[in-house]
Amino acid sequence: MEQKDIPPESVHSEEGRGPVLATLGALAAACLVGALLSSSEPVGTGLIAAGAACTAAVFVEALRRGRALAAERAQVAALRHALSRQEAEAIRLSAVVLPEAIERLRRGELPEEVLTALGGRRGHGNRWGNDAALTPRFRAALQAVLAHSVDAVDNEESLRDSAQRAFVNVARRVQAIVHQQAQEMREMEDRHGTNPDVFGDLLRLDHGTALIGRLADSISVLGGARPGRQWSRAVTLYSVLRGAMSRIIDYQRVELHSVSEVAVIGPVVEPLIHTLAELLDNATRYSPPHTRVHLTAVEVQSGIAVEIEDGGLSMSEEARARAEKMLAQAQSGIDLNDLGETPRLGLAVVGRLAQAYGFQVSLRSSAYGGVRAVVIVPQHLITTASAATGLAHGIGSSSGPRAVAATPREHPVHHPSAGVSAPRSARVPAPGPAPVSGGPTADRTATGLPQRRRKDRVTTYDYDTRPAAGPQSADDSGPGMWLEAFHSGLSGEPGQDAQGAEDASGSATKGA
Amino acid sequence: MKEPPSSWEDSSPERLYVITGGRSGPSTAVHLDLVTLVVAKGPPRPETQPEQAAILRMCRSPLSVAEIAAYVGLPVSVVTVLVGDLMAAERVHVRPPVPAAQLPDLALIEAVIDGLQKL
Repeated sequence: MEQKDIPPESVHSEEGRGPVLATLGALAAACLVGALLSSSEPVGTGLIAAGAACTAAVFVEALRRGRALAAERAQVAALRHALSRQEAEAIRLSAVVLPEAIERLRRGELPEEVLTALGGRRGHGNRWGNDAALTPRFRAALQAVLAHSVDAVDNEESLRDSAQRAFVNVARRVQAIVHQQAQEMREMEDRHGTNPDVFGDLLRLDHGTALIGRLADSISVLGGARPGRQWSRAVTLYSVLRGAMSRIIDYQRVELHSVSEVAVIGPVVEPLIHTLAELLDNATRYSPPHTRVHLTAVEVQSGIAVEIEDGGLSMSEEARARAEKMLAQAQSGIDLNDLGETPRLGLAVVGRLAQAYGFQVSLRSSAYGGVRAVVIVPQHLITTASAATGLAHGIGSSSGPRAVAATPREHPVHHPSAGVSAPRSARVPAPGPAPVSGGPTADRTATGLPQRRRKDRVTTYDYDTRPAAGPQSADDSGPGMWLEAFHSGLSGEPGQDAQGAEDASGSATKGA
Repeated sequence: MKEPPSSWEDSSPERLYVITGGRSGPSTAVHLDLVTLVVAKGPPRPETQPEQAAILRMCRSPLSVAEIAAYVGLPVSVVTVLVGDLMAAERVHVRPPVPAAQLPDLALIEAVIDGLQKL
């Protein structure tokens, strides 16, 4: 604080009167000594009178000073009180008000709102206003500190926001290119499917593109956005797991075990694929190259548990704690500065996705000696497999028995609505006419497709469970009959497969 | 030449290399071409890969590789990899097509015709 606030007159009065009081005292003492030593009466009387006068003056002065001292003490006490109030306010500003302001800004409140609530610029000092111990200057200073801090934090936040938006923007563009690329790649794979050499090269390129796509997804997640594309319909868990495998380098080392027949609802398909891909990537990266990584999915009480186990080095308790801490930290928000120091972006991304979509992720040591990562997908994100599309390339991705494509052979049309089992054969570049050069072909169907005739018996088998289905009994009834028998057997057979087959053929005839 | 841009829903999250395990041709020595007939030895087991299970169900009666590819909507190379795996596991029989008749060289025929005409 400034000197002016201390009353100036009290300082000056002390300085001027000190010597006066001493002189008066010395004069009184001198008079007394003179009176005792002097022999003459009048002189003695005069000296005594003078001494008495001096003594009286000293008394008067002493009394006056006593009063002044009391007044000053009171003033000092008041000042001390003001000082302690100011100190307390300064401490409260730093310990309570500023953290609260920053916290509110981080939560996304507007700076003006925060200032108003906390008694800053527009708050008219209502928080500090009714205390007389705080001078207006001091109040103004506190408000200024608060306002400046809030502005600085707000600037920082908006800078970070725009940086993140830039991130996400770039990532989105990369994703768009990658997606386009992936689609074209798929068309090329169909087109050059008959040439194994070209096809192998295409597969490698396709894989590289998928890896780029995963990086772009990670950037986008770290920027606070969705990982990538949206799926509007549910996708079976099996496809999701293989989708996750598609996006890592060492997918050949991943062993996909039993998968329960459920599907994941559309909005969480992509986040789940990305989460699993990051965990699989960690598992393959931090385990020896010749070991396998095991991927399973089982139903549990609270949903579906997807387990990823590797045979790498076991995590020490400390490393595990660090990794889980990183997951937890990521769930409360990612500090981009921290990421620079830790190269394992993966866990940060996993934590972020887990928090946003309600997956539970835990890391434990595995029975294989390595790490066992378990992702629990809650029940409300799971649906039945029959509701799902996006099945493994249109042929039913569950491993159990299921109706095969019962579309009539003459009309291999692509039916998006058929969903479960409509073949995507329309996109295959006409493999149909190719067998013309083969030996045993003769007739043509109504649409001109060649129809093979049977010349010799080819081994067939009978399902033990369906002895009466008997399409094979048509073997000798005439050329070309086996195919019809095949289709009628498929579309007409009883049991669990009938429903799907009927659906498929129903939509096929609609399409035709 | 290109189809109108298909929606996301057309594609599936998994890529072809995952289905084939990164291979582009069958591992077995047997040559599989478009007209090779494939027939299953039995119904798929529960743990069979979905694509292979579909092929096994489809091939209860013999079906050519080209037809299988058309039905499952996968490129022929992928189908040959899958069928090759099924062959290695002895789950299917394959029957190579009857080879085209061995015709003698055209030049040889011409030479014979020439020789005959000179007689």
